[in-house]
Amino acid sequence: MTKQTFLHDKHIALGAKMVDFAGWDMPVQYTSIIEEHKTVRENVGLFDVSHMGELIVHGEDALPFLNKLVPQELSKLTDKKAVYCQLPNKEGGLIDDLIIYKLEDKKYLIIANASRVDEDLNWMMRNKLGFNADIENISHKYSLLALQGPKACDLIRSVGIIDLPPFFSIKRDELFNINLWISRTGYTGEDGVEIMVSNEFAEYLWDKLLDAGKEYGIKPIGLGARDTLRLEAALHLYGNDLDENTTPVEAGLSWSVSKNKAEDYNGKKVIMEQLQNGGRKKLIGFKMLDKSIARHEYDVYSNGEKIGTVTSGGVSPTRGDNIGLAYIGASAQHVDNLHVGSTIQIMIRDKLHDAEIIKKPFVEKRNKG
Amino acid sequence: MDENMLCTKTHEYILEKDGIYEVGITDYAIEQLGDIVFVELPDTDSEFTKGEVFATIESVKAASEVYMPISGKVIEINEEIVNSPELLNDESYENKWFIKIESDADQVEMADLLDYSDYKEEVE
Repeated sequence: MTKQTFLHDKHIALGAKMVDFAGWDMPVQYTSIIEEHKTVRENVGLFDVSHMGELIVHGEDALPFLNKLVPQELSKLTDKKAVYCQLPNKEGGLIDDLIIYKLEDKKYLIIANASRVDEDLNWMMRNKLGFNADIENISHKYSLLALQGPKACDLIRSVGIIDLPPFFSIKRDELFNINLWISRTGYTGEDGVEIMVSNEFAEYLWDKLLDAGKEYGIKPIGLGARDTLRLEAALHLYGNDLDENTTPVEAGLSWSVSKNKAEDYNGKKVIMEQLQNGGRKKLIGFKMLDKSIARHEYDVYSNGEKIGTVTSGGVSPTRGDNIGLAYIGASAQHVDNLHVGSTIQIMIRDKLHDAEIIKKPFVEKRNKG
Repeated sequence: MDENMLCTKTHEYILEKDGIYEVGITDYAIEQLGDIVFVELPDTDSEFTKGEVFATIESVKAASEVYMPISGKVIEINEEIVNSPELLNDESYENKWFIKIESDADQVEMADLLDYSDYKEEVE
């Protein structure tokens, strides 16, 4: 049975094309993915991301419990600040990637991928023995809206929240007399906010934001553009670029791992070892050198030998070319010779097409506020 | 769309004009694909049998294969849509055929093709 968000009727009324995503009937586009993509890069877009999971972890041992689960040092996190985290298994492979907010002492909010909420809960329950902490899945109570783009913050200020939370922070506030949580986060590489609100107010807030956003050129944005936007920003998509056989180091997420974390955590041995010596594979960014498009699971070649696999690929509406992310096996001898500027090949329908390794992100991020 | 076209259940069509067939994909298929960003067509003079993949079309979302509705030999390809695939999404653009073919397909080979009106009923 496909699940629906509390904004489902709104999507249908707006003429959205709906698709199944992680068991949810979600809008993939309203008008055109490219048009929606450009709206977010140039003005402001409104997304329904209510399919995402929201968990609350609270109790006396909330902090030590979470510290056991993630490679990030959470002890220094101050109230209302957020940190990008991963949930590794014992071998360092990723069960999910998360954003963890410290709401107050002994109380944390976790935003999880829709497709992984059940796995996350399972894993957390299995690790909870001995910790005095409660895990509450509040996903079914809250809707999540994302407002993203260079004009997103102007729009929010114009409707009454003057003091926006700083980048990667959250605050309790109100909009149109509705109490909500608003955070300075997103999945597009643009400045913007995400708003968590009780389901009963989701439709009202959606309409109000679309209405107030008219003068800023707002449009509703589907999951299609969400994917092209995050790819340009080289933000990982769980299931494509991250999975249980991929560590944070291999995924290029070493920057997010705390190097001096004292506490033990799942996968620490593997992750710390890989921080020193590198992983079994390495995530690279590339652009196609012809008009062809690389897609998820296409093979990557160098000198006639298969060296890796594309995990995300597609068009870049902002750049006007075709880009992708791929894992390259670190054991292949010549991989040491591959760097930014090197040419590789992607196998597309039985033909090799040249691609060039380029720097990530593919489009400069503008979300530091 | 031309009412005389014959369609497949996989959303291709043929349209006969003076003994030559235009082959393309239906308006419904284009609408479903969304933003079209890449079209790959075969070389002229290549021959295909009914049901064979002769072209690839990619939207922002995914790549799709295009199948021959009848057997035939390619005599012309639409370079315009190769160079500007987005024309396929442009409602004012009319030349949406992919290739023109010569074919000696008979009634039997065409028996499973649908009239445009039947096709519309099928997909809607």
